[in-house]
Amino acid sequence: MRMRTMEIGVGFLMLAGAVALAVLALNISGLNLADQGGGYKVYARFENIGGLTARAKVAMSGVQIGEVTAIRLDPKFLVAEVEMRIRDDVDFLSTDSSAQILTAGLLGEQYIGITPGAEDVNLKDGDRIQDTQSALVLEDLVGKFLFNKVSE
Amino acid sequence: MDPLSDIIIDIRGLTFRRGSRTIFDDISLRVPRGKVTAIMGPSGTGKTTLLKLIGGQLKPDGGQILLEGDNIPTLGRGDLFLVRERMGMLFQSGALFTDMSVFENVAFPIRVHTDLAEEMIRDIVLMKLQAVGLRGAAKLMPSELSGGMARRVALARAIALDPDIVMYDEPFTGQDPIAMGVLVNLIRRLNQALGHTSIIVSHDIKETLGIADYVYVVADGKVIAEGSPEQLASVDSEQVRQFMQGLPDGPVPFHYPAPDLMQELLQETP
Amino acid sequence: MLDWIQSLGHGALSRLATFGRAGQLLVQSLVARPAPLVMFPLLVKQLYFVGVLSLVIIVVSGAFIGMVLGLQGYTILVDYGSEQAVGQMVALSLVRELAPVVTALLFAGRAGSALTAEIGLMKATEQLAGLEMIGVDPLRRVIAPRFWAGFISMPILTVIFSVVGVWGGAIVAVDWLGIYDGSFWANMQQSVDFSEDVLNGVIKSIVFGAVVTWIAVFEGYDCVPTSEGISQATTRTVVFSSLAVLGLDFILTALMFGEL
Repeated sequence: MRMRTMEIGVGFLMLAGAVALAVLALNISGLNLADQGGGYKVYARFENIGGLTARAKVAMSGVQIGEVTAIRLDPKFLVAEVEMRIRDDVDFLSTDSSAQILTAGLLGEQYIGITPGAEDVNLKDGDRIQDTQSALVLEDLVGKFLFNKVSE
Repeated sequence: MDPLSDIIIDIRGLTFRRGSRTIFDDISLRVPRGKVTAIMGPSGTGKTTLLKLIGGQLKPDGGQILLEGDNIPTLGRGDLFLVRERMGMLFQSGALFTDMSVFENVAFPIRVHTDLAEEMIRDIVLMKLQAVGLRGAAKLMPSELSGGMARRVALARAIALDPDIVMYDEPFTGQDPIAMGVLVNLIRRLNQALGHTSIIVSHDIKETLGIADYVYVVADGKVIAEGSPEQLASVDSEQVRQFMQGLPDGPVPFHYPAPDLMQELLQETP
Repeated sequence: MLDWIQSLGHGALSRLATFGRAGQLLVQSLVARPAPLVMFPLLVKQLYFVGVLSLVIIVVSGAFIGMVLGLQGYTILVDYGSEQAVGQMVALSLVRELAPVVTALLFAGRAGSALTAEIGLMKATEQLAGLEMIGVDPLRRVIAPRFWAGFISMPILTVIFSVVGVWGGAIVAVDWLGIYDGSFWANMQQSVDFSEDVLNGVIKSIVFGAVVTWIAVFEGYDCVPTSEGISQATTRTVVFSSLAVLGLDFILTALMFGEL
């Protein structure tokens, strides 16, 4: 077994590994967003977060502007509190913007949709979105439907 | 002149146990410098183990193995490395490194122990191979050699550093007459030409006695006879005589212990 | 009854002794590395035999497994109308679990058994003893390079497996089953996190690499130097490596992904 062939082979292995790692990083795991660092934190309380999880996307008009970083229970208000991080360059969300938990597709992931308001002042790091709408819960929907049916 | 006047290896009171078996029980051997010493005995007496003890691969449970004053079992790594530079061993199976060519195999000990330039190493390797008659086979791989040729290459490797002591582990076992003759011839000639000490471990009476200067017969963990080949022929011991003459029955019995034959035949099958 | 307890105790003690010998081998091989000048060519050679020659089976397996994942994933998800999630399903399954585990199992079968057989044969033909007599420590020269080669190759092979698998899944989902190319990749990129998923998968593969190579090398070194002994040692390598990989995978998964 020639030494040269082996060296070439091993070099190829290393190169393939490095390329594969790069592909994994960029194409498969979308490294860009997470690593842009910074971003500012915004909080919102929801009665029911439904199937929302951490790292769910935060979007405005369908365009992703951030992600959910943490979900906690607020002991004072006894509801769920969501912490999200918005990209630094999206700094034009007014303080009366509303946050709604939406679903992508029938069994798709839930995400937060932000609808901007009309105020002049914008959201800053640490601000809270007041106007929130919880996730749709199937049982409530059925209940509402039945109730409407009954009153007809 | 007393053949044991100049001792190079002095083994005193060596004891070695493997599990519950005692392989060597307080034995003593003295190997004369520059001569061919044979250590013989029935199979399984641990002759190969003795070579491993001398080479420092195994540690004895008791006793000393003195190589010109140094007790081998007590040597540290560095000293043992230097001692091994002075020893060459020919293993029973040749033990050539299968991933290297014949040339590389013989060059290996030289590369490990010295810093010589490539041209010098090449010259030395070619000369060693010439001594065993295999210079033309330098580029072959061990898998392409016959058994006899492999052993000769292993011998060239064993003498690559011109060691003071060369040990042969069952060199004649399983060889055809020609290969055997070649090997016997080589061992004797190298011993005379290079002046090193040879230790042969074997149970081949004819070949070994033909070239040995001094013989030890080991059985049951003890030395049961020693002397020159002529002295051994007239030793008054049944055990020794059975071994030397190759008698099928004697102190080492033919029959494995079993109940009486008639009894066993007459017994009903259980 | 007493005999049974005694044999149980004896068995336990001898297992403990074996484990001790294995640990000793590990420490001695890692601590006593030969000089870099000597080590490098040995390491390259072993990397070739252990890593490069495993590439074919890893790539082929990765492609097929990725394709099957794509196919099965589509079939299951299409009932819920969520077939666009196929991309993330394939990628997550591969990167978190299948790539490290399957690569390790294949590696144990192919490279692990080869290492055991090779070292066992060197022991049986007295090559290891020969090295010692010449004054070369077989642990440094034979065992250590092989150990490092396995340890280094495994993560590389795992990463290649993941990528080939995703590519296989993409071919099935996008080219054959008609899922929209954009959403396949976008959904995947959304849900696969580099530090959580990719790095954890790589950490798993490093652990598996160490364990599988350690077992392979030890079984070869410790085997009974007969042909039967070597064959038993090879079997033990494959069996123990596989069990160890699966067991460790559970523990690591619980540690890494348990909270999610």
